[in-house]
Amino acid sequence: MKALPPNSLPVLLTPTRPALEPLPAFTTFVQSRALAIILVGGFILSCGISAALSAGATQPQPSILDVLLKWAPLIGGGFLFNIAVSIASMAIGTLSGVLLGLGQISPSRPIAKISWFLTQFFRNSPWLVLLFFVMFLLPFELKLGSLTLPLPAWFKAIIGLALPVMANVAEIVRGGIKSIPFSQWESAESLAFSRRQILWQIILPQAFKRMIPPWMNLYAILTMATTLISVVGIQDSMTLTKAALVAEGRLDLYLPFYTMLLLMFFAYCYPIARLTQSLERRVAVKF
Amino acid sequence: MCFAQSHIQPVDVSFKQKQVASGKIAAWIALIIELGSEGDQAMTLSIKTLIRSACALAAATVWGTSMAQAQDTLAQVKQKGTLTVGIKNDYKPWGFLDPSGKIVGLEIDLANSIAQKIGVSKVELVPVTAANRMEFLNQGRIDLVIATMGDTEARRKVVGMVEPNYYAGATNILSPKSANLKNWSDLKGRKVCAVQGAYYNRRVTEMYSPELVVYPAVPDALNALQGGNCIAFLFDDTLIVSTLSGGDPKWANYEMPLNSEDPQLWAIGVRLADLNGPFGQLVKDMSVDWHKSGYLLELEKKWGIKQSPYLIETNKKLKGN
Amino acid sequence: MMEPIARWFKWLSSTHGLNYSVFFDNYDQTLFLKGLQTTIFLSLACIFLSIMVGLIGAWLQGSRLRAARIGTAMFVQFFRNTPPLVQLAFFYYAVSSLLPTLTDQFGAQAPIINNLGWAIISFSLFAGAFNIEIFRSGIEAVPTAMTEAAESLGYTRFQIYRIVVVPIAFRICLPSLGNNLVNLVKTTTLAYAIGVPELLYASAQIWSEAMNVREMMVLLLITYVALVAVLVGLMQRWERSLRIPGYIA
Repeated sequence: MKALPPNSLPVLLTPTRPALEPLPAFTTFVQSRALAIILVGGFILSCGISAALSAGATQPQPSILDVLLKWAPLIGGGFLFNIAVSIASMAIGTLSGVLLGLGQISPSRPIAKISWFLTQFFRNSPWLVLLFFVMFLLPFELKLGSLTLPLPAWFKAIIGLALPVMANVAEIVRGGIKSIPFSQWESAESLAFSRRQILWQIILPQAFKRMIPPWMNLYAILTMATTLISVVGIQDSMTLTKAALVAEGRLDLYLPFYTMLLLMFFAYCYPIARLTQSLERRVAVKF
Repeated sequence: MCFAQSHIQPVDVSFKQKQVASGKIAAWIALIIELGSEGDQAMTLSIKTLIRSACALAAATVWGTSMAQAQDTLAQVKQKGTLTVGIKNDYKPWGFLDPSGKIVGLEIDLANSIAQKIGVSKVELVPVTAANRMEFLNQGRIDLVIATMGDTEARRKVVGMVEPNYYAGATNILSPKSANLKNWSDLKGRKVCAVQGAYYNRRVTEMYSPELVVYPAVPDALNALQGGNCIAFLFDDTLIVSTLSGGDPKWANYEMPLNSEDPQLWAIGVRLADLNGPFGQLVKDMSVDWHKSGYLLELEKKWGIKQSPYLIETNKKLKGN
Repeated sequence: MMEPIARWFKWLSSTHGLNYSVFFDNYDQTLFLKGLQTTIFLSLACIFLSIMVGLIGAWLQGSRLRAARIGTAMFVQFFRNTPPLVQLAFFYYAVSSLLPTLTDQFGAQAPIINNLGWAIISFSLFAGAFNIEIFRSGIEAVPTAMTEAAESLGYTRFQIYRIVVVPIAFRICLPSLGNNLVNLVKTTTLAYAIGVPELLYASAQIWSEAMNVREMMVLLLITYVALVAVLVGLMQRWERSLRIPGYIA
């Protein structure tokens, strides 16, 4: 809603609903910088709280920042591993998900039904349970004739995370295709396009733009879900954080360590979220 | 020709019927693949191939081991040049992380010693938990388990336990001195941290009915104990003793207040099929050697573990022979 | 009625090695059913609280106070862009260690909030952050004419929010809310990591005792898909019953 020039406001009306004003917190770059500043501030604050708590300790102990710096490279390395896992899972999940999504709109009834069932099944199962499922039930190596493919634990974890990604990508693809008005299919048909031509030359190029934002959103969710691999015994940033905390055994370190881990993920996922938002807005304008 | 498979160890047939089924399927798949790989020569399918496949099928059916497990692990390890060992990375001083991210500890020393004996230079350490180590072993993800594994009757049906056992532990609790626990029965209704997959969880629950809070791994449980989320941590007494005797100020206000219960031998685990095979034999010989030579006692000292009566006793017994 | 089922699964176990111990072993059955109960309780509590968080947050976002808007935005962005598992550990281990303790009935010091409590708080905030966004977009979709009409009738801002905006916006965002709540139910499995005895925890207990990982996995997946299906069904019914004929499709 547009703000009226102040002099034209009817005297008796209170200013109009502020709820509908576009929220500056989400739109301006300045705000995002403020966010960053405040988050870093929060981190320093968390260290401060902990430092205050540990001030009463009887034994002299190394400062929180020293301990944090000592472990930061190791935990940071673990975080890079999380990122690597997320990229690999996304690649596998996207490829299989596109197939599954196209399968859902297949003219063949059985293929469409099976694709629909698989999508629903993997979309509605908890990620952690799927991860357990794959970790425990996939063999350690695949034998294809004389060829033996080893399946190390990290690879299984990637597959375990790729399954729900696949189902969600399938849903994005199906949704994107369905969002294009059906009349386009009909008019293209009347122009003697084949089904394949309609799909690849007319529908998908339009739908693709709409699929990108939810796809990126899914990637951010996946990146955050990679911490689940710590629960099934793979060493990632979360495992290393816990191991470090046990090794140090100081209660005052919990807050700064977990805050550091949270901020690592935030620093990676927040820019993706902002990019997704701006893309979403641009796509929305174009259609 | 069937004797070519002689290193397959007969396994108690009643052990798991579904393994028989999967073994059969594996054999059929092997047969089909082998037939398929003949390609254009399929017409002149050699009798040798057919018999070999039939042997495999028969072997799998009778002994219930899948094809992957039927192979000799020792030969495989030599061929790979890598020994893959399931170890703990959260169980100081048996297997834990140092700040550089390297896994070290007594059990890692044992793993290295076995690799040295086999003559492979590379040891791949796979961190396992109580809940997944037997699965990993039987799937073949790891060649052996040296992960503070208690040698129980139920587990012997699933994995091969190497004797002589390399250590003995028992169940106890780690608790803050202020908790003032005196008897096992004091645990009734109290929150006690434990770790998923430990054999004593069920026994202690049934006998003393504490409110057990079970975590995926030891660090989680220790974090919870330090944070006051439970009154005690239920675990092997060996870990508790070594934790307390380490002189670490963070454990200064903690104690192991109860009498250890339910003594339990620890064993290195190999696949059942390997237990009486060359690989199992090698590990057994090594284990005897460790006891006899006093290597285990030495390691105990190196890692600051309180002397265990079991080790001294076994050392004496084996030396006497 | 349960007897033949138990007998059949026992038969299945002895003849085919498919050990669904949950159906015939008393100890395992109790464990599993308690886990199911905890999961349902955890889900319901989190659904309720996360909707509350969403409503309050969406209201704050429309506030005239800049600080309230920025604060809410920060809350939303922080909880949306960090892993729920780390949030859970953050609350359970870090925040909990800062809080004062209570004396329990045994005279020992116990934290004020136990692991189940932290799981509820953590998941409610996590899902709540998403709900704030969902409600905000719903509120933005309420036609301006409607609120202006309410204003001209002399309603206060809170009254407009409560009587006009929320009911309409709620109907608009029910589908995406449903999606988020399904996610929330799936997220409750993370409570396993801090030892909350929910369904995954109970199953892990069972399979490490009975060595029946395969069977428990199948059972777990079926149970969760069934739980989610029930939730989806309920949401759809709710959507239908809330529909204003001729207004929102």
